[in-house]
Amino acid sequence: MFEKKKVMTSAGVEVRKKPLGLRIWTNRGYYVMFLPVAIFVLILNYWPMLGVRYSFYKATPITMNKGTNEFVGFANFTKLFETDAFWNAFQNTLELSIMKLLITTATAVIVSIFLNEMGNLLAKKTLQTIIYLPHFMSWAVVASVASLLLSPSVTGMVNGMLRDWGVLGEADKNIYFLADKEMWRPIFYIINIWKETGWGTIIFLATLSGINPEQYEAADIDGATRLQKMRYITMPALANTILTVLILNLAKVLNMFESVFVLYNDAVYDVSDVIGTYIYRQTFAVALPNYGYSTAVGLFRSLVGCLLFVICNWASKKVRGRGIV
Amino acid sequence: MAEKVVYRAKKKKIKLFDIVNYIVFILIGLLIMVPIWKVIVDSLNAVGVYQFRLWPDQFTVGAYRTILEEESLIRPFLNSVWTTVLGALLGLTLSTLGGYVLIQFDMPGRGLFATFLTITMIFSGGMIPEYLVMKELGLTNNTWILVVKHGLSVYNLVLMRNFFEGIPGSLYESARIDGCTPMGIFFKIVLPLSKAALASIGLMFAVAVWNDYSNVKIYIMDPLKVNFQYKLMVMVADGDTPNTTYGVAQSTLHNAGIIMAILPFMLLYPFLQKYFVKGVNIGAVKE
Amino acid sequence: MKRKVLSVLLTSAMVMSMAACGSSETTEAPASNDAAASTTTDSAAADTKADAAASTDTAAADTETAFQLTEPIKAYVDGTVNYVKEDSGKEEFVSQLNAAISEKMGYDVTVEFTALDHSGYTDAVGRMFAGGDYPDVMIMNAGMFRQYMTTGLLWNMADAYDNAEFQSRLTAPGLNESLKDKDGALYGFTPAIGGGCPTYVKKAWLDAVGMKAEDIKTYDDFYKMLEAFTTGDPDGNGVNGDTYGFISAGLYGEEAPHINYLPDFWQDGYPGLLKGEDGVWYDGMQTEATKNALLRMQEAYQAGVIDPVSYTAGTKEAREKYWSADQTGSAGVFCYWAGSWYDNIATNLEKNGVETELVQLDPIAEVAAIGGYLNRESPVWVIIDDGDGDDAREQAIFDAFIEPMLDGDKCQTLWTYGAEGTHWSLKAESITTGTGEKEKTVEYAEGEFHCLPTIADPTTLFKKNHIDNAAVIAPLTNGYSNTTDTVAASNTHFVNNCVDAPQAPSCDTITNEGVAITDAIKAVISTVVVEGGDVDAAMQTYVDTVGSIVEQALSELNAQ
Repeated sequence: MFEKKKVMTSAGVEVRKKPLGLRIWTNRGYYVMFLPVAIFVLILNYWPMLGVRYSFYKATPITMNKGTNEFVGFANFTKLFETDAFWNAFQNTLELSIMKLLITTATAVIVSIFLNEMGNLLAKKTLQTIIYLPHFMSWAVVASVASLLLSPSVTGMVNGMLRDWGVLGEADKNIYFLADKEMWRPIFYIINIWKETGWGTIIFLATLSGINPEQYEAADIDGATRLQKMRYITMPALANTILTVLILNLAKVLNMFESVFVLYNDAVYDVSDVIGTYIYRQTFAVALPNYGYSTAVGLFRSLVGCLLFVICNWASKKVRGRGIV
Repeated sequence: MAEKVVYRAKKKKIKLFDIVNYIVFILIGLLIMVPIWKVIVDSLNAVGVYQFRLWPDQFTVGAYRTILEEESLIRPFLNSVWTTVLGALLGLTLSTLGGYVLIQFDMPGRGLFATFLTITMIFSGGMIPEYLVMKELGLTNNTWILVVKHGLSVYNLVLMRNFFEGIPGSLYESARIDGCTPMGIFFKIVLPLSKAALASIGLMFAVAVWNDYSNVKIYIMDPLKVNFQYKLMVMVADGDTPNTTYGVAQSTLHNAGIIMAILPFMLLYPFLQKYFVKGVNIGAVKE
Repeated sequence: MKRKVLSVLLTSAMVMSMAACGSSETTEAPASNDAAASTTTDSAAADTKADAAASTDTAAADTETAFQLTEPIKAYVDGTVNYVKEDSGKEEFVSQLNAAISEKMGYDVTVEFTALDHSGYTDAVGRMFAGGDYPDVMIMNAGMFRQYMTTGLLWNMADAYDNAEFQSRLTAPGLNESLKDKDGALYGFTPAIGGGCPTYVKKAWLDAVGMKAEDIKTYDDFYKMLEAFTTGDPDGNGVNGDTYGFISAGLYGEEAPHINYLPDFWQDGYPGLLKGEDGVWYDGMQTEATKNALLRMQEAYQAGVIDPVSYTAGTKEAREKYWSADQTGSAGVFCYWAGSWYDNIATNLEKNGVETELVQLDPIAEVAAIGGYLNRESPVWVIIDDGDGDDAREQAIFDAFIEPMLDGDKCQTLWTYGAEGTHWSLKAESITTGTGEKEKTVEYAEGEFHCLPTIADPTTLFKKNHIDNAAVIAPLTNGYSNTTDTVAASNTHFVNNCVDAPQAPSCDTITNEGVAITDAIKAVISTVVVEGGDVDAAMQTYVDTVGSIVEQALSELNAQ
């Protein structure tokens, strides 16, 4: 055993020129290490994928178990493509999640830059801990607190403040933030900023802490102002990280569900319904659901996701010189 | 306040910037704390108040005692604790193994493995097919589902791999020359150098398991097998069934539950903070 | 037409892209064949298993009367069976129930309960069915029952029901008769009427604005009361106009009968498909009555008499606002469930220090004109047919589980009040409830029926298990009654002032497109009531979006 090992390692860099069989043998230890991962993924990810066949069936809870699902060909997909509500959800998914991604990334970048400028270490750490906190709250809790603060009735704190500041006049009615087509999206973005900005800053703060201090010292000697240093040293250093974050997240924009689910309502379906919530209503809000249809929606979403992934992977190769994985 | 004075003495021209900066951040901190403060106050208030309060009208810690004493509340909490610990451990094990194998660039089939993992990021069977598979595996109505479901995250695996790539290649090479097996290198070189990544990615797994609500909703029926987050949601968001009454106002109990649900991370975070920042740093931003 | 073309194009694009993505899935293709193979073997295995079960069944059923239930009876229940929840004395209830059933059957029978959460019950059951987990007996709400009725999954218990021992004691035989389909088949059984939401008012608020509950007789009176609550200072905090007349948990409920949180506004209107007196189905949405109801709500909502948050409020938010310790922004009137919930709201008002009695209003004239508050369709117990063509096992489950529920004695008491010694008692003792000022002690004599304190909170009492004694269709014969209880009083008041809610429609189109219709109805309500839009225009939009689906559904319903 020891002997063989020595032989192969002495080959060093030349390893690629070795015959395939030997290279496999040489790396056998790694295959063994990959085995648990492979088994896990096969069972938990690939096995369920076989279930996409249901998208070609009418499958209810009862027929599914009895094996009497009725084959309907592409009927589920035809229905899907003919449904306005689905296209509305599809468009909303793209708009909401991409905007959310851009906005929360932007705020995270800004907050990190200014947090980084903070001299006092204790203040910095305390603030960091505070702004991470919302990430640990579940969406349902965030939504219940948000609806309380944004309530259109006299107990709503935000409406009360707007009234005190004279934004809302005597004759104006309170704003129904969560049931107003104009207001819903801005509010949705603000709540997302509130919840996820802090968590988002981690990666940017890490990058900033990696900038060589000598660069700043040199700039100081040149008499650069603080804003100039931000513009010419900090921002360029962050650019690559920002792109990485955007690309990694862009591939999964279609998965948006929970954040919308807890905040939307039927008055604002037009601007808020996303694919995830649409699938939910088709599967959960129906007494005898057709699982075939929801699987079809899911499969279509995966295919679009596939396309997005290919684009992101291509972008990633361009920008970072390598793919996502 | 004191800091500002010090700064002013040092560099006069940036005084304004610092003041503005501090004021802005105090505002941000307030914005974040206001909603959380509402929950904290309500969790300590013996009477249920719908409106915002700065302090409790009638102070009580009864709700927290109830959570610790009632079996139907503390059992889900303990379920959350053990699934979170085991889930994070399983997640770390698989993502370190996978990440380590993916940096073996001379290994035949490496690209295939990467594709094999990538596909799972895009395609999934959907809820019902997954349910049927879990049923076959005996994981429905079983708290272990929480550990298994979060056992592998390709996203975290990629972060891990990026981190491993940051470890100087010369270390691997010298270990290999010393006759270390792949497993030996993994345990003797890679893991000891990756404490920061292990802490940060472990926390990511832990947060995912701890906050999981939907998998519990889908897979678990027995009320003593659910986790705390689910129990909390049922208490907070459920409709028309009168909840079992406990000795405190319902809303007080709900709010205490919310605080209990974020408390572990509030306490844990300061200890992990320095690892965490470092871990993600080397992992994802390495370029 | 254009859309047809587009969808065909997209479908073919899908096929193409799947073929394209097939490059990565080539490894998968043989696997999926395997899966197909394995499912066929699975179902084959299931078949043989079923066959085996069938053969043993028939073997056992050779001498039909001798059929014995050897396995425990598996029962799925939702939140309406209170004492199978945790911290509620589950063990005692189940063991006493097992004993009572075994005594009745003459051999040992056990029941295994699976208590699922109320909110996710329907979809959880759907998944369990898909995974092959079937109970022997379970609860279904009305909407779910109508959908499953036609699937062949449920056992026709018409004969068993017609020959049941309790028939002679039924006070409302019509209730289960109405569940029979046109061929006389009965797939579900309900032991009690469904319940519903009367209108609750805070007595202290009425006093503060100088009104009396007895005087609220018509919609005009009702509306004046709401206005007085809105503009006056009913909570006595010295500020006029910081309160509301009415709060509701949503303006359209997810569960039938949808409008039960606003009976005084809806009156004779109904946003859904209805069966007319002539037996013909029509769309209740497209009627003058519904239009007028929408206009009433529009007026009240736009005038700020209804708390604006009512549109998005869930039940929890509405309740907590109603009983908040600080009554600023609270409302005087709230329509919510009768019975246990009356008690729950009153208790919470008291706990939060809101000094008021809670009054359950008699229906106003306009509501009385349709018969009173809507009594929702009852949840039913169903027996799952094992499909072996032999009824012996199902009959035995009926005899052991469902029939005793109304035996008037031991079992019915268990289902109504729970287990003796845990939930109720006949012993002489004194029981103290409440805390502080509200503390009160009642002495009970030997043999006097009374409920015991709850396990989780000894200052409150157990009230009911599954069946409301005031709503049951065959009364207890042992005379046990919790008469002092406000729950019973609330239920009795409701039962005397209610009318059966319209029957939920069930047909293929509703199953497949129900979500679209519901969404369209909600859109009308939000446009008219919340935004104050034109009712005719909103109705036209409704007809434009789902008119054809509704037509289709109606023609299917009328063909049934």
